[in-house]
Amino acid sequence: MTIDTTTAADDLRSADVSTLFERLGEVWVELEEYLERVPVLRRLGDGTVTIDDYRRLLFNLRQQVVDGSPWISRAASNFDIDHFELRAAAIKHAEEEHRDYLMLERDYVAIGGSLAELRAGRKNLGSEALSGYMFHYADQPNPVGLLGAMFIIEGLGAKRAAGWAGRFQEVLGLADSQVHFMQYHQEADSEHTGDLEAILTSGMIDDAAADEIVRCAQVVARLYALQLEELDR
Amino acid sequence: MVVSMGSTATAYLTGFGRYLPGDPVDNDGIAARLGGDDAVTERIRRRILDANGIRQRHYALDEHGEPTELNEELAVKALRAAFDDRGIDASEVRMLACATTMGDVLVPGFASMVHGRLGGGPMQLLSASGVCASGLAALDAAVSKVRLGDHPLVAVVGSELASRSLRQRRFDHIRAGMDSHFLRWMLSDGAGAVVVEFQPHPSRPSLRVDWVRQVSLAHEHDVCMRAGMDGTEPVVGGTWQDVGVAQAEASGMFVLRQDVTVLDDLAEAGIRQFEELVDIGLVDVHHLDHVVCHYSTNAFRDAAFDGLRRRIPSLDTDKWYSNLETRGNTGAASIFIALEEAWSTGRFRPGETILLAVPESGRFSFAFAHLTVVAPPDQQGASK
Repeated sequence: MTIDTTTAADDLRSADVSTLFERLGEVWVELEEYLERVPVLRRLGDGTVTIDDYRRLLFNLRQQVVDGSPWISRAASNFDIDHFELRAAAIKHAEEEHRDYLMLERDYVAIGGSLAELRAGRKNLGSEALSGYMFHYADQPNPVGLLGAMFIIEGLGAKRAAGWAGRFQEVLGLADSQVHFMQYHQEADSEHTGDLEAILTSGMIDDAAADEIVRCAQVVARLYALQLEELDR
Repeated sequence: MVVSMGSTATAYLTGFGRYLPGDPVDNDGIAARLGGDDAVTERIRRRILDANGIRQRHYALDEHGEPTELNEELAVKALRAAFDDRGIDASEVRMLACATTMGDVLVPGFASMVHGRLGGGPMQLLSASGVCASGLAALDAAVSKVRLGDHPLVAVVGSELASRSLRQRRFDHIRAGMDSHFLRWMLSDGAGAVVVEFQPHPSRPSLRVDWVRQVSLAHEHDVCMRAGMDGTEPVVGGTWQDVGVAQAEASGMFVLRQDVTVLDDLAEAGIRQFEELVDIGLVDVHHLDHVVCHYSTNAFRDAAFDGLRRRIPSLDTDKWYSNLETRGNTGAASIFIALEEAWSTGRFRPGETILLAVPESGRFSFAFAHLTVVAPPDQQGASK
């Protein structure tokens, strides 16, 4: 993978960018198809979700969310000086997210969960796969493909989490302080999605990098859905 | 995008418990415990018992009038009964709201002592002091914290151990008029507790708390029920804490007293508060299925019914529930002891509404709560 930092061929690059967004859009459609098959999200949609479903979802998410900032930090450390902008963006992003799991933990406690049990929990099969993949990828030199992972994970936060929060509130009668983590991500991840778009349209991404970004997005979309399917397993 | 939904959770009563110490004491068994078996006192007692209609009550006193338990023990036993009813352990409780007129000790707060005896884990505490309405003040705090989403599970207990201060030794050499006899032959001991949660009970009906409201009219009324002061006016340097314990006792400050001449005003004010609930739409008398009312004597009940019938002819007083006659007047605990009995004897059906009403004579306070019986989630079907 290389990143073209010259200023030539702007026209060609613009075309690539629109193609990249189209390809990522297709991955997003795939993700939505995966999500439609996730049992807990189906129950959320049809209004049969229970407080235990919400508790389990938070429990399972937490075990992977605590890894979010670490893999972004690790990726940051693997961007060389030629990728300074991506390194800077990753450092900033890691810093912004490294306390997020605390919000999730407070939500879990606010609905009656035990903090000690939550913190003693282990990742489910999907979270193991997702987290393992992210750390493996972040270990590579200049892991630009992770922008595809960001596209999926931040996209879920920006486009879906607040909707899930609202629906959990509607069905289960929850207070705002019990769905903070999901509510907050609409705001925070919309900002991050904006940052991501700025990077993708900056001219830093060449064709090889674009391929990596799309492939990484595909893998993360599948593994993220797997994490939601494999609750407690 | 700024998220500003401001949604709150809903509070449900999911567990109910009560504890009444010892065997029930009938009217003939009172004197053995509280004393006052001289002919004059005997006559006064008969007259007051006839008026208040209480036939039996419980005292945390043995047959010689010696204490058998602490107030904090009554509270803990009622709480444990409520936890058993809900199928939970004290470790799941995140907040404990306690109401009592007088704890066992001056310091620390009653809730600290109850928590210490109860066990469980770290929790928020509230000691609501006052008189009868403090039970609903504690409930209000619990419901508010649950609605905010701050706590998923809160325990509330009202507990009273008045009997030890009603014994003869408090009355020896004291001028004791009707103001003290009225309470001496009315008050008794007990505790009632509820569990408040943000979700309904998973497998049986719960009581959703629609609102709690408490109003004080102390700004326009003198003290009515009191201890620790001489007369109804507080005087600098003249409270029980200022004059010395011996003098306070000698002047009868440790005797609970009630200015019985203002009780008609209290009943009137209580009816007006109820009318206001109807007037502003918090209560719809056509959709009110039960009223669980704390009143200190049947005389009040009759006055209230008469007053209400004049104003709201459609009000069916058969809907009113009280267990005053068999459980006695247990102050801050009364409303929970009545609610527990009404609940456990199957009085309520899903969909029905309940008004809890607690007038407090202390200095004219009135507390109400509106509840709706809800079926367990698995019997409500898929909603929305």
